[in-house]
Amino acid sequence: MKQVLEGSHAVAEAVRLARTQVISAYPITPQTHIVERLSEYCADSTLAAKFLRVESEHSALAALIGAASCGVRTFTATSSQGLALMHELLHWASGARLPIVMANVNRAMAPGWNIWADQTDSLAQRDTGWLQLYCEHSQEVFDTTIQAFRLAEWLNLPVMVILDAFFLSHTYEPVDVPRQNSVDRFLPSYQPRFKLDIEYPCAFNQLAPPNIYMEMRHNIQAAMDEALIFFDQVEDEFEDIIGRRYGPVEAVQCEDAEIILITSGTVTSTSRQVLTELRDKGEKAGLLKIKLFRPFPTKAIREHTASAKKIAVIDRNFSFGASGIFAQEIRAALCNHPGHPPVFGYVAGLGGRDVTTAVVEEIYWLTKGNDMPQPESIWVGLHEVDHAIGQS
Amino acid sequence: MASKEPLTNRSPLVIPCSYLTTEGNKTGSWRFLRPQYEEKTSPCSAACPSGEDIARIQMLTAQGSFKEAWETILVENPFPGVCGRVCYHPCELQCNRREFDEPVAIHTIERFLADTASRYELKFGLDKLAAKKQKIAVIGSGPSGLAAAYFLALLGYESDVFEALAEPGGVLRWGIPLYRLPPHILNEEVSRLQDFGVRIHCDKPVSQNFLKEAKKSYDAIFLGCGHSQSLPLSIPGEGLPGVEDGFHFLNKIRRGDIPTLEGTVAVIGGGNTAIDAARSAARLGAKVMVIYRRRQQDMRAFAEEVEMALEEGIEIRELETPVEIASQKGDLLVTLQKMRVAQEDLQGKARIKPLGRKREKIRVQHLFIAVGNTAAEDWYDLPSKTRGVTKLNNCVLEHRSREPVLVYGGDLAASIKSVVHAVASGKEAAMALDVLFKEGPKAMESRLKSCLVGEGPSLSMEIYLGGPRAKRNHSIVSYESLNTDYFRFAPAISRPRLLREERLQSFAEINLKIGGSLAIREAERCFNCGLCNQCDNCQLFCPEIAVIRDDNPQGRHINYDYCKGCGLCVVECPRNAMVLEEERL
Repeated sequence: MKQVLEGSHAVAEAVRLARTQVISAYPITPQTHIVERLSEYCADSTLAAKFLRVESEHSALAALIGAASCGVRTFTATSSQGLALMHELLHWASGARLPIVMANVNRAMAPGWNIWADQTDSLAQRDTGWLQLYCEHSQEVFDTTIQAFRLAEWLNLPVMVILDAFFLSHTYEPVDVPRQNSVDRFLPSYQPRFKLDIEYPCAFNQLAPPNIYMEMRHNIQAAMDEALIFFDQVEDEFEDIIGRRYGPVEAVQCEDAEIILITSGTVTSTSRQVLTELRDKGEKAGLLKIKLFRPFPTKAIREHTASAKKIAVIDRNFSFGASGIFAQEIRAALCNHPGHPPVFGYVAGLGGRDVTTAVVEEIYWLTKGNDMPQPESIWVGLHEVDHAIGQS
Repeated sequence: MASKEPLTNRSPLVIPCSYLTTEGNKTGSWRFLRPQYEEKTSPCSAACPSGEDIARIQMLTAQGSFKEAWETILVENPFPGVCGRVCYHPCELQCNRREFDEPVAIHTIERFLADTASRYELKFGLDKLAAKKQKIAVIGSGPSGLAAAYFLALLGYESDVFEALAEPGGVLRWGIPLYRLPPHILNEEVSRLQDFGVRIHCDKPVSQNFLKEAKKSYDAIFLGCGHSQSLPLSIPGEGLPGVEDGFHFLNKIRRGDIPTLEGTVAVIGGGNTAIDAARSAARLGAKVMVIYRRRQQDMRAFAEEVEMALEEGIEIRELETPVEIASQKGDLLVTLQKMRVAQEDLQGKARIKPLGRKREKIRVQHLFIAVGNTAAEDWYDLPSKTRGVTKLNNCVLEHRSREPVLVYGGDLAASIKSVVHAVASGKEAAMALDVLFKEGPKAMESRLKSCLVGEGPSLSMEIYLGGPRAKRNHSIVSYESLNTDYFRFAPAISRPRLLREERLQSFAEINLKIGGSLAIREAERCFNCGLCNQCDNCQLFCPEIAVIRDDNPQGRHINYDYCKGCGLCVVECPRNAMVLEEERL
């Protein structure tokens, strides 16, 4: 049934329909609406889950690590500084192979305090062993959250569902919410492969000396490799039952494109409009949306960009001293691929600044007008600023 | 340590998993701080002149163990029914809950426990110690004399109580108005003491000759004769008809000789007798004023009683003192000298001086004088010598070799004249005599000092007898040392009372009974400062599962093989019943 839902509530609906058993979270804007709605569901028994109130995000994830170790379905949500505070336990969750699902609402890191959209918070956690899925609209947020539980529980790896602050979290859109029995068919109850059980006492994750630690790490990578394959299977099943699929990447008119824009999150929707306008003008433009960031879909990206002359990556994030993070990843994915196109890196929309159709168009024309990319990222739409401290 | 193969052939999964016990890892070896259960002293119990174990009484009440709670009072005070009514409850002033919201209604709970014991005719199960050969004569059956005889009986001594009047009780019977203490309550408490073995001989006024005789057959004599002689005003006209002694007026009413009072009554004084006389006069139909030379806040009468007197329509005239009484057409013409506050002493009590020659004449029909009492006989006066004399907090012992010990107790020696101080005096005397007989005079002070509640001066009989309370640390629990996160705000119960209009109709008791559920709810408000109430927080929070429940009185112990000394248990103990100390190697 179609409902008009705020992006945050799309997450909450999905978590409810997933019959999540333990939720623990600490409020932070712009994530709060997700767990607020879930806490109401727990309070009025709409959802038979235990909602653990804690004093920090660190404790929220710690509580879920405990709960997931006991073999139950778990969920948390956070954003920005909250995610950063979880950092240590993000590693623990993946190392302990616990299928925790988290929604992270992309928000800029402080200082200065900024609650608006920026992907740096989640991309800074790329090496923690979590799957990362970036969403474009509320329907995708809803569907991806449900799929995340399947992925996590099959792979025994934690999954992060990522949505842009406000553009998604606080915007109402029509969302098709399937029936409970459809969701149940797609997502049966969680069958843990290991759990703490007082009938059979054991301890997990104690000392792992050099003779085993490396194997454990390799094993996580093996699961990540499998995730690339399993992701498609999950989407097949989801499509069978619910009728939608997204792909780890989505290529729009890339087959004959000379310049391909690569985007993630809500910038993709804006770029779709620009693409239509450029095609109307006869420009051979294409668009590649990246949804799955970890594991990184190298093979798919190579295939879809094989015939392009140039690639323009739009990053709403930045790695200081290097470049936009998606651009880095794409360069790394292509560099050993013979004849790959040059990668132009653009930084735009940090801290919630609008990435308008004009911005995306400017990026296209900049790419078209230059033969080779600059070594540094190009920051689009920078204002002139007086560099004196205290001036705005 | 064992690596497990993947449990199914789903995606690759390797994690360290061990089925070995972790008990071999004795984390206790990391410890340099040692948590321990250590009960401490609650401020209320130290503030109680008779040293009642109030925090424990509340705990037992909250658990519904009313008999045990009542018996816990009886170890320290034989008069819960009386004190639950007439005590001025200094305990509540020191209640740590005062800092949080309102103090626990300790006084009301004491009364409730006494009422409950009375309703169910509970028999208390205290055992007397083995019989001793010494015998003690107790002069006066007021609260100090009866308490002395009771505690002496507990310690195994025989005693005879000699009462000058026809019925026992002293000030409890003759000095406290019926609306504060109905006589059947006193009778019940006295007969419980008699059942316990206290022998009371009424109509035995004691003369110096009697005392001489008594010295032959007793090893000690406790003088608890009280201050029954009123002090005079020493002004002209004191002897006029219509001028009466306030204490005598109260005695008359208690004897059933109830006069009718018409017109205006003036009561001179600011102590409890003055307020009792004024309120009694109001019940007999008079318009009453209390004339006091200092200010209302300086009155020695208990503040609560003064408040109720005001509610009952009694006028208090401050800073006025009578200088002359004259008779005029059957009325009394009282000349009042206005006074002024010259300075305040350290307790904030006013020192006063006459305000020039400013005077006022008032016309009244009756005048009661209640400006204080003193000993009725000069041989009750405390000994002036120091040799062979030991002065304790609430009694004085005169002990010379080959002579029976003479103990001055109750009002004769107490630091404050109150019923509960009289009880404290009798208890102190019993303990002091026991030490004196067994170990001699030199041991007295140090032995008594070891029985102080907190820093004292209250004494505990349970500590003296070596009961569980003796193990308690004497340090007093401060509000700051409690973990108040575990307590919820809740106002104290409102003490049910007769309406003001009802009170003035008769001498019926003002304070009403409360029921068990209300008492439990009120007792649950108690922080139980310094005591373990088995809340189990220590066990719940211990990260090493090193708090082990067992059958000892504490209910649990710490397994030091695994306790790392993190101190969580101590921090999470709501009531400061644990201590964290440096490990001694």
